Amino acid sequence: MNRTVLLARKEAGELMLSLRGLTWLLAVAVALSVFGLLLVSNTELSLLDNAQVVYDMASIVTALGALLALVIGIDTVAGERERGSLVPLLLTPVSRDSILFGKLGGVAIAWIVIYALSLPYLWAVGSTGQNLIEGMVITAVLGSPVVLGFGFLGVALGCWHSSTRGALLTGLVALILSASPLLLGPSLRQSAVGRLFDALNPFSAAVNAYDAVMIDSQPYGLQNSHFLVAVIWLILTVWLARSGFRRVSRTGAAI
Amino acid sequence: MLISIEGLKVSINHTPILHDVHLSLDKGEICGLLGPNGAGKSTTISAVLGLRAAEAGRIEMFDQQFPDAVSEIEVRQKTGVLPEQGGFYDWMDAIRYLAFFASLYGREIHRKEIQDRLQRVGLDPSNERPIHTFSRGMKQRLGLARALLANPKLVILDEPTNGLDPRGRRDIHDIFLGLAAEGVGILLCTHLLDDVERLCSRVGIIVDGRTVAEGPVDELLRNSGKTNRFRLRLTSPPSASQQSGMGLDASIISHDGEWWIVSIDPGASPDSVWRELFFRGWKITDIQQESGGIEDMYLSLTDRSPT
Repeated sequence: MNRTVLLARKEAGELMLSLRGLTWLLAVAVALSVFGLLLVSNTELSLLDNAQVVYDMASIVTALGALLALVIGIDTVAGERERGSLVPLLLTPVSRDSILFGKLGGVAIAWIVIYALSLPYLWAVGSTGQNLIEGMVITAVLGSPVVLGFGFLGVALGCWHSSTRGALLTGLVALILSASPLLLGPSLRQSAVGRLFDALNPFSAAVNAYDAVMIDSQPYGLQNSHFLVAVIWLILTVWLARSGFRRVSRTGAAI
Repeated sequence: MLISIEGLKVSINHTPILHDVHLSLDKGEICGLLGPNGAGKSTTISAVLGLRAAEAGRIEMFDQQFPDAVSEIEVRQKTGVLPEQGGFYDWMDAIRYLAFFASLYGREIHRKEIQDRLQRVGLDPSNERPIHTFSRGMKQRLGLARALLANPKLVILDEPTNGLDPRGRRDIHDIFLGLAAEGVGILLCTHLLDDVERLCSRVGIIVDGRTVAEGPVDELLRNSGKTNRFRLRLTSPPSASQQSGMGLDASIISHDGEWWIVSIDPGASPDSVWRELFFRGWKITDIQQESGGIEDMYLSLTDRSPT
């Protein structure tokens, strides 16, 4: 079997079979349940329309996915280094790139699991409306590069930081800053700085595309600019992870 | 030569760690790498495995310039390593863990072979409990099984007998001696001088990033001029004729009741002296080392005044 696939399977196994991985998945499921219940209640009380709750749920799935991918990305390098299991891996006759892409593959599998886990929740909040399928598709298409980018950023931070805690702190600050469009009011987002931030921020790209497709019913084809931002973000984070992993395998991994 | 290092210099974050390290290891040899904490032993191992870049000096692995003529991947394919901080995937069981690492070495090995390998290092092959339930000694044995998975030509072990009971230590020693007899070279990084005395045919001693002694144990002891002193317990004192003509290798220093102090020349083998004394009729019931040997040499070479 290809060694990259083998390593990705090991990473996925850690998520699905270890107590740590299962706890994270359980936490995501609990969070989705709470938000799902709140959104369904709001729909029942006619406080939010159906398109809005699907949009909200898709944004929450993306945010939670990014958070979990970030944590898994950090753990896969910094956590393994602290537990002492990274060095035996680096001492095998497997190229650095194969190990790295195996680990990135593990992050991708984690996102697939989270996305699959979120589908029943999306269905629960949006089954009575018209835009459920659009919501699922745009979350997969735009959410994936954004979420994976945060996972790969986690891998890079795990390589550059000497401790898991430091990497986690930096990663959470980056995630909160990126997710700030969800918190900013419309007037702030209309300012020059707000618009620039919106144009460059991968999280903004995802939620703006969700807004356009789910609420404004725009075609997918009009979301190319948002998709481009998300893809650039993904490429940038792969590059960061690769340069960080080269560093960790040359200078940061003592026997 | 499996390993040949000359004038190795390594810095970590611009801080020089190794200044001038030299070391060599041939097939079938067990070489003890000794030195105080922080002397640079682990950094030397890291450099040999390509985990740290050498600033200066020359490293040859398997008779080829490293990393120019022989790649890191090729070196790792032929080398088994047991790092001091051996982390495991705690959620796996031992068989699955070894199968995973065997696949990384490009080997598809059957469950039966993995079980044989577990048995060889003293682990129960039918144990399917996850690794997080293993004791420290069991994890150490599993780490050793992982290091030997790819039938390496060179084995590098950092404190391999940590956490093992005396019987376990003896079993592991026997494995090392068996591997050396098969032609495998072993670099043994340890603080346990008993292990070194029992296993190693040569040693390298590193102090403050410099090799202060390196070579065959007998030669180093001979050159160090440190005599071995032993206390022998005898059931009856040796007669004058038994005392005379002990040979040039040993001499009686003094005696106090049933205890006799005997000095053995540097480089002479204590075992052959004991055989000779038994042959002459000395009734020896106990032998205790007082001074000399690797321990004395190590202590004198690593004696540092605080600066």
